[in-house]
Amino acid sequence: MNWSSFKYLTRQGLHSMGANRLMTLASVGVLTACLIITGIAGLFSANVNSVVAYLGDQNESVVYLAEGLGPEQAAAVDAGIRSISGIAEVSYVSGDEVLELYKGYMEEYADLWEDFEGDENPFRANYRVVVSDLENLDSIVGQLEAIEGVDRVRAPTDMSSMFVSIQHAVNFCGWALVVMLGVVSVVVIHNTIRLTVFARRREINIMKYVGATNGFIRLPFFIEGMASGLLAGALAGGLVLGGYAALLHFAGEAPGVWRQVAASSVLPVSAVWYVVLGGFFAFGVLIGSLGSAISVRKYLKV
Amino acid sequence: MIVFDHVTKIYPGGNIALNDVSLHINKGEFVFVLGHSGAGKSTFLKLILREEKATEGHVYINGQDLGALRERKVPYLRRNMGVVFQDFRLIPTMTAYENVAFAMRVTNIPERQIKKRVPYVLNLVGLGGKLDRLPEELSGGEQQRVALARAMVHSPQLIIADEPTGNIDPELSLEMMELLTAINSVGITVVVVTHEHDLARRFNKRVVTIDHGSVVGDTEIPGEVRL
Repeated sequence: MNWSSFKYLTRQGLHSMGANRLMTLASVGVLTACLIITGIAGLFSANVNSVVAYLGDQNESVVYLAEGLGPEQAAAVDAGIRSISGIAEVSYVSGDEVLELYKGYMEEYADLWEDFEGDENPFRANYRVVVSDLENLDSIVGQLEAIEGVDRVRAPTDMSSMFVSIQHAVNFCGWALVVMLGVVSVVVIHNTIRLTVFARRREINIMKYVGATNGFIRLPFFIEGMASGLLAGALAGGLVLGGYAALLHFAGEAPGVWRQVAASSVLPVSAVWYVVLGGFFAFGVLIGSLGSAISVRKYLKV
Repeated sequence: MIVFDHVTKIYPGGNIALNDVSLHINKGEFVFVLGHSGAGKSTFLKLILREEKATEGHVYINGQDLGALRERKVPYLRRNMGVVFQDFRLIPTMTAYENVAFAMRVTNIPERQIKKRVPYVLNLVGLGGKLDRLPEELSGGEQQRVALARAMVHSPQLIIADEPTGNIDPELSLEMMELLTAINSVGITVVVVTHEHDLARRFNKRVVTIDHGSVVGDTEIPGEVRL
């Protein structure tokens, strides 16, 4: 096929969109609706996952040091803790700091705490450790306990396994929903495209009789499907991202806990727009173009 | 040009459409293929266009065995033919110019040549002033002439007309046949498939008569047509 034929067929494909505008409207409409539903399911799943991950990240393990550690041993313990990979935050809390903390909790009995100052302080220095991925908590706790100079470790292992289970369930359900809706979309879109091709079967038949090759017949349908997919992707992307931005705006203005959740863990538009648009364009173009080209096949057997 | 060598066509279900048909149509001939509805004319046409394959025997076009022709080569076979259908089969969203140009575009002919050739051919069939009309804006006779222009625009060696006068009035039928005769006079083979005996009688051309799937008459003298 030469360049002039390619240009002509591309023009034909785009021209057909206007000439068969009702059918174009039907396929773009169905494709847009399917993309919107799939996109909403995807965003919902990603956000629930993000909220659960945020709540899970609030974990804190306390590493108690053994009594009577010298400065060198303390430094070795510090280096040992910081060398473990998978730890997001480490902070050292001295015994005096713990005492001050408790004084703050019970200000009315502050005088009583004075008896525990200096060498009488019963609190031990400790490290507060936050792990970056809860799934590694058990393994990190084991590594912390193995460090010489560490007395014991108190970690929220029950809570972490609960959050990990929730996260897995949300991930599975969310993506299963997206895949299911994706499959339903493919079936619905394929049928809509088949209808549009069926309406033009006579045209295809004529093309065959004047000696057009299958590729020559398919290309305008392919271009038309691709353009419809792009259009549907842009429409669905605009609507979903616009709606999402509006939802975040309202959540940001909501009182109390919702504002906190929205501010801390809900994915901002800047983090999702390229994924949503890229996914919509890719899905729309793929389904539109391949769906059209495949649906034409039935009518090429003349 | 066209050779049917003991051709039998049996459709799935057992319907025998053509039975042991042997026929030679030479280059430059004008032939009427005559027969009533269900006689086997359409199957005859489908075998030439390689829309169907013979169950037995061989169909040759320019020495090429169509039974051995690969699917992907079929479009190239059809580019050597021009077909005029009873129902015109014009693409409704294309103008007269575009419909005719389409037959050239499928063969990758440069746009410059298309721009020269299409108005010329439409002018030949008397539609020089109606290039931009859509099929729905043309009369039946005009649509048939667009179809004829499309069939001849790429200078094929063979033009097949399937009931070319079936959807137009008698006066226009005569015009159409005169156009086909003019095309034949420059050496192009013309095969007209029809059920109209009067039409076949009016022209002094070879008439092949098909009945119940068999050739029952083959004569150049209309008076000797046997049914």
